[in-house]
Amino acid sequence: MSLFLAELKLTLRSRIAAAALFLLFLLAALAVWSGISLSDRQNAAIERVQAAHAQDLAAVARVYGQPDGDAGYGAYYTFYLTWDRPSPLAFAAIGQRDIQPFTLRVRTLGLHSQLYESENINAELALPGPFDWAFVLIYLAPLAVLVLLHDLVAGEREAGRLRLLLSLPGARGLWARRLGARYLLVLAALALPLVLGLMLTQAPLTLGAGSLLVAALYLAFWSGLGLLVAALVRSSGGGAATLLGCWIVLTLVAPTLATSAINSAIPAARGTDLSLAQREIVHAAWDKPKEETFDAFFVNHPEWRDTPPVTGRFHWKWYYAFHQVGDEAVAPQVAEYRASLAARERWTERVGWLLPTVSTQVLLHRLADTDLQAHLAYQDSIAALHRRIRYFYYPYVFEERPFTAADFERLPDYQPRPSGGSLAWGSLIALGLAALALLALSLRRAHRVEMVQPTATSRPGRGFLSKPAFT
Amino acid sequence: MSGATVRIAREEWRWLARSRVALVAGVLLLLLIITATFTSVQKHEAIDEARARYQSEQIEQFYNQPDRHPHRMVHYGQYVFRPLAPLAFFDTGVDAYTGNMVFLEGHRQNSANFAEARQSSLMLRFGQLTPAFVLQTLAPLLIIFLAFRALAGERERGTLRLMLAQGISARQIVSGKLIAHAAVAGAIVLPALLALTIMSASSGASAQALLIILGYCAYLIVWTLMALVLSALVPRARDALLALVALWMVTVVLLPRGLPELVAASQTLPTRIETEVAIGRDLKAIGDSHDPDDPYFNDFKMEVLARYGVSDVQDLPVQYAGLVAMEGERLTSDLFNRYAADANAREDRQNALVRTFGLASPLIAVRQLSMTLAGTDLDNHQDFLSQVESYRYSFVQHLNRMQAEQIPAVNPGEDPRIDASNWLEVPGFAYVAPNPLAYAGGRIAQSFGILAAWLAGLACLLILAARRLERIAR
Amino acid sequence: MKSETADAVLEARHLRHSYGARRVLDDLSLRVGAGEIYALLGGNGAGKSTTLNIFLGFVRPGSGSASVCGIDPSTAPDEARAALAYVPESVALYDHLSAYENIDYFLHLAGANRHRTSVIDPALDDVGLVASARGQRVGGFSKGMRQKVAIALALARNVPVLLLDEPTSGLDPRATAEFNDLLEAARKRGIATLMATHDLLSAAAVADRIGFLREGHLDEEVAANGGARFDVDALFRRYSERRESRTA
Repeated sequence: MSLFLAELKLTLRSRIAAAALFLLFLLAALAVWSGISLSDRQNAAIERVQAAHAQDLAAVARVYGQPDGDAGYGAYYTFYLTWDRPSPLAFAAIGQRDIQPFTLRVRTLGLHSQLYESENINAELALPGPFDWAFVLIYLAPLAVLVLLHDLVAGEREAGRLRLLLSLPGARGLWARRLGARYLLVLAALALPLVLGLMLTQAPLTLGAGSLLVAALYLAFWSGLGLLVAALVRSSGGGAATLLGCWIVLTLVAPTLATSAINSAIPAARGTDLSLAQREIVHAAWDKPKEETFDAFFVNHPEWRDTPPVTGRFHWKWYYAFHQVGDEAVAPQVAEYRASLAARERWTERVGWLLPTVSTQVLLHRLADTDLQAHLAYQDSIAALHRRIRYFYYPYVFEERPFTAADFERLPDYQPRPSGGSLAWGSLIALGLAALALLALSLRRAHRVEMVQPTATSRPGRGFLSKPAFT
Repeated sequence: MSGATVRIAREEWRWLARSRVALVAGVLLLLLIITATFTSVQKHEAIDEARARYQSEQIEQFYNQPDRHPHRMVHYGQYVFRPLAPLAFFDTGVDAYTGNMVFLEGHRQNSANFAEARQSSLMLRFGQLTPAFVLQTLAPLLIIFLAFRALAGERERGTLRLMLAQGISARQIVSGKLIAHAAVAGAIVLPALLALTIMSASSGASAQALLIILGYCAYLIVWTLMALVLSALVPRARDALLALVALWMVTVVLLPRGLPELVAASQTLPTRIETEVAIGRDLKAIGDSHDPDDPYFNDFKMEVLARYGVSDVQDLPVQYAGLVAMEGERLTSDLFNRYAADANAREDRQNALVRTFGLASPLIAVRQLSMTLAGTDLDNHQDFLSQVESYRYSFVQHLNRMQAEQIPAVNPGEDPRIDASNWLEVPGFAYVAPNPLAYAGGRIAQSFGILAAWLAGLACLLILAARRLERIAR
Repeated sequence: MKSETADAVLEARHLRHSYGARRVLDDLSLRVGAGEIYALLGGNGAGKSTTLNIFLGFVRPGSGSASVCGIDPSTAPDEARAALAYVPESVALYDHLSAYENIDYFLHLAGANRHRTSVIDPALDDVGLVASARGQRVGGFSKGMRQKVAIALALARNVPVLLLDEPTSGLDPRATAEFNDLLEAARKRGIATLMATHDLLSAAAVADRIGFLREGHLDEEVAANGGARFDVDALFRRYSERRESRTA
């Protein structure tokens, strides 16, 4: 153990290694700070929106909450606010939270003409991607590993220490110890700021531990790769270039190629289709016999079948019925749309089985609950609210009961979805296997470093006899 | 240019041609650019075709609506799809992040929906495979890989001393290497140049294409100079590589991500809901058309009665409700425009801040340049939204006027409608793609200025580094 | 010839080894006893390095065997290495550590867990590294000083075998003389020393026996002869001839 400490100290005394580690620590700390600031901003925005919405709601209640108030108007003018707070771990992996809406208002009209509204974002700011801990882990930490490991063996060889080191009896575990020391240093530089952030945001222990586990495995993968390359290459320059090549492929080239392939193979145009189709159905209802609308509506809502029939040109019950029929009619398109998004997620996870960068991204954002799946869960919670408000108004509208100020007090509340961070087991196993396989392979290869020493030390030509001048 | 300089450049090419790593890396990048170009062009055509099809289908549907009350048509509304700029294949810019479908209806302003980034897995955030991505992000790495040894390697091997001893000046050596690697940078841009030339020829965006090429040439030469400066300053080739990669990391990956975060923290954008609520409040403050005692609408009524020379609403030759709808639409649209202008100004301030900080990273300058010229920057999207809003206003007012003029003011019946042929009189949305050279000339000049400053600064540094090389190698 | 009869600490028996078609060792046998200094003299490619590599356990001999204190390095390299100290041709150390810290670290690597501090200073005393230099970073050390540090490491490890690879190449005359004194110190401690060298003069100055290695074969062994030790001129004449016959 104390030998391990000696390796830790030795690494830290190298100026370039210490600089790389410090920089990584600094950037991770900055990223954590920046992530927390974004979470705070979103929470503050939610509070602002809640305040604005409360005012708006009060104004609506004043106008439509009369003793003889018509529920149809109340429902039409009353918006319901939904919001999706960042999970306690969101600061570490912001994911799509910078481009997905986190507040949305819905009312009793057709859900699918309201659900896909987007938020005001500055797209140019969103374009490069968020600066968060996950970014530091996925992109920058491998580069720190590269700096620390690329010349692990070649550096000793180039400095001329390799044979001396290998002649010592304890040399067998040398590479493993050095790898371990450097691995732990990189992990510590990343983990420390994260742990601080976790304490600040009081994230559940399991989520924090999960993200540390992911970081540990991801770094183990890169460390294994680093040692393997270090044990194989002849020069430190070659080691740096090879590892950099791996980094470029794994973080830049392969994921972009895969995204391009997935998004062309699985188009998500159904979103547009369902919007267009729903509008047609809803607006055609104005010109159709009301019975048609009601027949369709009563299929799923038989409890209102026996309410008074509509005789005039307009009645709110008919209006809300055809909005609901519009939603129900596009259910197949909605399902297809959701299926296409799910398929994109599924294929991304499969790509992650091959690319540790992608599986790490999948894992972290699933834990932080900030991925597409999280947004779909938010949409589901909006749909649940929409259903509850419909059923809240239906008795008033169908039974033509007055909707008064007292009823405004009884509006259904939005139930925010529970924070849904979870562990993507498939990706975790894939990442773990990749890390283990590379570590095992690289350690085996590193063991053979000592056996491959003999003729590499060719010396510059020299005479057989060197006759010193002083004789 | 002396013979020695040319000879040194030729030797550098020979060395690159014989180095397997350089060859493999070069060929891989070339393949990547070609793949990016092809897939991007294909995708561009598919998206363009789909949006055009949707657009024509939806206007067809609008024109085929039956006899209706015009107000029904105001809410039947129109869908508008954003057409892609002809050069968007080269740099998709913010297109994946901004919605491309807007639903237009009366007195509501809906958002642009179904942005690709919102429907994709997070993997999209690793980047999108376009020629611009390859040239901005990966090409500098290739240049670094090929050039980091150029001077540090000669120094390490001792061949630099040998050359200097033979009377070749460090300046000749450095210029030779610069010519060699600048030519490599040119070779990297070549496939993109071809694609841009072919694609821009049919669309009349040749000037933009030319400027894009110019910008990327400048950008890659900035990297060539950077590589040579560091290769001249650092005694060991490996250290030059590490230093250059660190620089690349900071300017290409770190700053472009970190700066927006800082800027976003310093300048908040109001959410849609806040804006909606604020607009609703402002509208109410102006007047309430349903309130018979409302001063604003009483004035409006007086003004209308005076205009038509009658004393009672019943005597108007037009439907008063239609006139009120038109006035209401005018008021809301004014507010929409005011709030949109405010939001745009905030976004512009944010982006301007990034651009100013962007002096520290040539990537930010070239990215801005490329997006602007390709017609995929945020301003272009904002312009699209403002064209959409003014179209929304005109089409809604068209229908409101039909209501005022064709629906009888008295005894209209229970279900008044007008003839379906009226819908054909509503013009369709005609998007006029703005010319970046006209609306963003200043910004384009600013980006070129930043790139030129980098070029000039690095050229000076390279001259100084060459002098130093001569001093220390002797 | 007391070492001939004493137990050999370091022994090679009929070593043969080839790299591909090239034979580098051809039936090499040698023995080095405790307190003895054996110089293996030969030119480039004579097989000196391979011999050292076999003792170090870096190379497994094609046939024949080697032993370090009775341990075969090809089957138990760690145990063999525990019994020997190796000083490479150009001693490279961690430049950012001091002489003292370098020895401490290498000692630690070699498995010494406790009492390292108590052995380092005496070892540095023995090799004559001045006290003022011990705390300095070795980045600025000359080759001779680095060699002193490496030998101090060997002494501090208190092992019975010392393997030296071209120890005098690149040393100036004064450093060479100091190095010779160092070997005397090792001899006094009863260490068996095997030095591979192409430097006849330095071999003659310190060795008890000199083995002439040519094309992987031990041509001849000459033992020191009392106070006059070796007749250097005779050796020199003989090996000039040998060299000519080889190059002819």
